Amino acid sequence: MKTLVLGLGNPILSDDGIGVCVARELENRIDGQDVKVEEIGAGGLALLHELAGYDRAIIIDAIQTRDGEVGQVYRLGPEAFDSTRHAGSPHDINFATALELGKRLGVPLPRQIVIFAVEVEDVTTFSERCTPKVEQTIPVVTDMVVQELGNDHSS
Amino acid sequence: MASCKATDAVYHVDPPTAAKKVRELFYCAHMIHSHIAHFYALAAPDFVLGPTSDPAERNILGLVAKVGLEIGGEVIKHRAYAQDIQAVIGGKATHPVFALPGGISKPVTEEERKDFEEKAKSLVDFAKFSVNLFNDLVLSNKEYLDLITGDIYTMKSYYMGLVDSSNRVNFYEGDIRVVDEDGKEVAKFKPAEYLDYIAEHTEPWSYLKFPFLKKVGWKGLVEGKDSGVYRVSPLARLNAADGMATPLAQAEYEKMYQTLGGKPVHATLVFHWARLIEIVYAAERLLELCQDKEITSPEVRTIPTATPDEGVGVVEAPRGTLIHHYQTDDRGIIQKANLIVATGHNYPAMNMSVKRAAQGLIKKGVVASEGLLNMVEMAFRAYDPCMACATHNLPGQMPLEVVIYNSRGEVAERLNRL
Repeated sequence: MKTLVLGLGNPILSDDGIGVCVARELENRIDGQDVKVEEIGAGGLALLHELAGYDRAIIIDAIQTRDGEVGQVYRLGPEAFDSTRHAGSPHDINFATALELGKRLGVPLPRQIVIFAVEVEDVTTFSERCTPKVEQTIPVVTDMVVQELGNDHSS
Repeated sequence: MASCKATDAVYHVDPPTAAKKVRELFYCAHMIHSHIAHFYALAAPDFVLGPTSDPAERNILGLVAKVGLEIGGEVIKHRAYAQDIQAVIGGKATHPVFALPGGISKPVTEEERKDFEEKAKSLVDFAKFSVNLFNDLVLSNKEYLDLITGDIYTMKSYYMGLVDSSNRVNFYEGDIRVVDEDGKEVAKFKPAEYLDYIAEHTEPWSYLKFPFLKKVGWKGLVEGKDSGVYRVSPLARLNAADGMATPLAQAEYEKMYQTLGGKPVHATLVFHWARLIEIVYAAERLLELCQDKEITSPEVRTIPTATPDEGVGVVEAPRGTLIHHYQTDDRGIIQKANLIVATGHNYPAMNMSVKRAAQGLIKKGVVASEGLLNMVEMAFRAYDPCMACATHNLPGQMPLEVVIYNSRGEVAERLNRL
């Protein structure tokens, strides 16, 4: 199964870079021919382009929810993102729209998309480091992804 | 690319011509991907579905449902071609890593060039298709044509854009040219001279500054030749130039001005039409560069020898003129940086466009809520604004509030999407 592990985020915006931090950890730990680890600071149509051609995608990103506690990690599917905070970018379409577009156009999207979302504190301060509680989730999320890679949900 | 050119200037180094051509090739691909995404994902839905249609349909999904899956597939494919060209030259499509003071990090191979050439040919066809689509769907629809040329979306201003030595549009380099609302040239200057021509006003209610033409002066958010408000954008570029440097784009340029009754055009929604003409130019120019003998030259870097100090780099970003100005210490570490981005240049005009649209759409206290919010947003969206870049800060969403006051100055209604 061709798998893409994709760390999303901006690595110079504190916790917004958590996905990228985890991807960089995973690059050291993953040694499978069928698994590619990438990082990207984009969404919408660009994301569609990245996902095309893989059987499975594991995406890691930051999230901020109304009642969430910083440091919590959620395992989600794409249906959880019908409306997101980043829906309002004036330059692009959001994740849910991009996936739906891809489906309708017959873009070969992964059959399985799993998203590990980390509840973060700060996505607006310029910094190359995550805040302490979020930094502590890096090994945790890394382990979760490695475990996910070991699971074959092809049914 | 503006940053890259600024570093050339900081180090007082002139890249070899092959490096400039490869940079320009990359840059044409960049313009194409951005313009395609903007037109099809953001602008076209308003015209194809209609500006007051149901928001659930008024997006790229609705567009594809209406024009067909095949067209949708072509959009994704051609945008990907442009991204792929950037990725091969630049290392990555987003945040490329190939530009250096004095040139670029590696030449283009013959194999890569052949691949780019095939993609470029397809991009020229797709660009022509996109302009024709606009013609068929929009221009032959009287309602839309009236909307585009109507008063609520019209604003007179000065226009600014980069031009080559023949005053034709160039995205990568040239002089900055400014024309007035009648199309007469009022300024033409080198990027390094920008501070003699552009100044910035501030208001306490915004993080974003209000650039204006220094020699005309700041008179507030008003139109007229005495007001220093100017615009950048695809339409501004076409207004500020005397033509396009490639044949198909030139034909489209002439057709646009003929259809709309001459130059310059002040209709804000025509930014979208101009954007499509620019896709044609970018694709033709991309193909020209792919077929240039020098494009695979190994001579792509001049090592700087001067002590770095200060420099200005200007390009035409998809949304308009982009200025990067750096002052460094003698190690080349930036001490001061001034950026004026397209959305910054356009900020005064954007405010005026939105206000005009709102004033035109709300009559005698009657507000058509959802449709109105979108039509006001259309005025704003034509500028394809990036408030994050312009304020060097972050948006989280695109909030929009229209406040309606009665004749006594009291708030009668608030419509918002906050």
